Amino acid sequence: MIKAQDVNKTFGQLQVLKGVSLDIQLGEVVVIIGPSGSGKSTLLRCINHLESIDIGNIFFDGQSVAFQEIPGGNRIPVKRKDIYNLRRQIGMVFQRFNLFPHMTALSNVMEGPLTVLGVTKGEARRLAESLLAKVGLANKANSYPSQLSGGQQQRVAIARALAMNPKVMLFDEPTSALDPELVGEVLNVIKDLASEGMTMLVVTHEMGFAREVADRVVFMDEGMIIETGTPEQIFSSPKHPRTREFLSNVIRNYDNHSFPQVV
Amino acid sequence: MHLGPLDIDFILTILPNLLMGALMTIKLTFFAIVFGTIIGLFVALAKISSIKVLRWAGGIYTWVIRGIPLLLQLMFLYYGLAFAGILLDEFTVAIIGLSVCGGAYIAEIIRAGILSIDKGQMEAAMSLGMSYTQAMRRVILPQAYRRLLPPMGNEFITLMKDSALVSVICMTELLRAATLLQNATFRPIEIFVTAGLMYLILTTFFTAIFNRLEKGWQFQTGNKGELH
Ligand SMILES: Nc1ncnc2c1ncn2[C@@H]1O[C@H](COP(=O)(O)OP(=O)(O)O)[C@@H](O)[C@H]1O
Ligand SMILES: [Mg+2]
Repeated sequence: MIKAQDVNKTFGQLQVLKGVSLDIQLGEVVVIIGPSGSGKSTLLRCINHLESIDIGNIFFDGQSVAFQEIPGGNRIPVKRKDIYNLRRQIGMVFQRFNLFPHMTALSNVMEGPLTVLGVTKGEARRLAESLLAKVGLANKANSYPSQLSGGQQQRVAIARALAMNPKVMLFDEPTSALDPELVGEVLNVIKDLASEGMTMLVVTHEMGFAREVADRVVFMDEGMIIETGTPEQIFSSPKHPRTREFLSNVIRNYDNHSFPQVV
Repeated sequence: MHLGPLDIDFILTILPNLLMGALMTIKLTFFAIVFGTIIGLFVALAKISSIKVLRWAGGIYTWVIRGIPLLLQLMFLYYGLAFAGILLDEFTVAIIGLSVCGGAYIAEIIRAGILSIDKGQMEAAMSLGMSYTQAMRRVILPQAYRRLLPPMGNEFITLMKDSALVSVICMTELLRAATLLQNATFRPIEIFVTAGLMYLILTTFFTAIFNRLEKGWQFQTGNKGELH
């Protein structure tokens, strides 16, 4: 489904991704963990081309995201149209929600289908209503983001991404900006998606959640994938010392408020 | 009939001329705002564009226009163009001069407004698959619009007052109407007090409209404070 090959990304002097390779199968839930600054967000952003990549390539459904090979061994950046088309198929949920503050919850969810897919207003509305119901916010359709709690905003953001009927969902620390008591409601929505078979790539610090829903856990540090394995392998018997160190820090710092079953 | 030092009967006789002038001031301001905003929007987009040449062109434009007195620009347009054999009527020159000048200031206002919108908004729009133009139109500009209203209101009022400068190129707007009356009658008090009051009414009216627009926006989003 998604195949990252030796992805390198540099910001100025700083090499943020150093040869990251990752394969995500259809229906798989992959959770990325790792310390802040290790390049997790950048990797996600490269996948839907919010960032360009320098070396390597990423394939989505077999199609190159970043470069187009042209005869003679050269490569050129993919066309803008193809990037837009790619993003339509990839849902993205941000740490800070990024809802459109000038639109109601319903309009936020309608916006993608309406503007990008060009469906009729009635169709977009029906779709948005059913998605808001799915994330438990049918009664908040007419509220503006400023009138919603963080957890509610994030659930609207998930509904907004789902409205494009994406093949893959990317979550970048979806609960990191939330008060502890609101984390659970958002994680539950993501868990439901997982059980419906949605292909997902989730960056999170919620280890209990990772353990519960991940098919595979990826540990990143300093722009590299250090270790990959089942939740069982990573959490119970991490091989790499850096993974062990990180996990013991996380348990200390992030406490286990919402998911007490952490290691 | 007198009101203090003011001869009301005399004022009534000059009123038609001054009202004609005020009407021209309104016309000039209206066109300057419309064209100035269009110019300003495109220049602002050029200045934040990823294309170097556009950024550069936009930068030169605002640098030159904001760095030279409007009076000089108007004279240059009127006399300079005529000298070069390009003959335009006063009204056209006045509209061009005011729009081009207003456009430079409006561009800066719009640019600042767009840049003040959280980067996450553009990313969220892009991640839905919107094109740059769609994201601007549907997500960024509607939010910038609200922040733009207060400084735009100020700029429009400035444009209205600056429109008095076109009197130097023989456009008979409110100030020149007053000056002509003064030359003919030598009654400065009545003439300039009345003209001043007319400007004041116009600017007050403008301010009220903008306050209305701002309030309407807040009502619409249920958001009384800042966007976040
Ligand atoms: N647009 C950018 N320009 C410059 N540096 C950046 C940019 N985005 C991220 N970085 C840097 O790249 C590194 C990795 O960032 P990020 O991918 O956000 O890590 P993570 O999500 O794992 O915390 C950080 O050191 C960050 O400061
Ligand atoms: Mg991050």
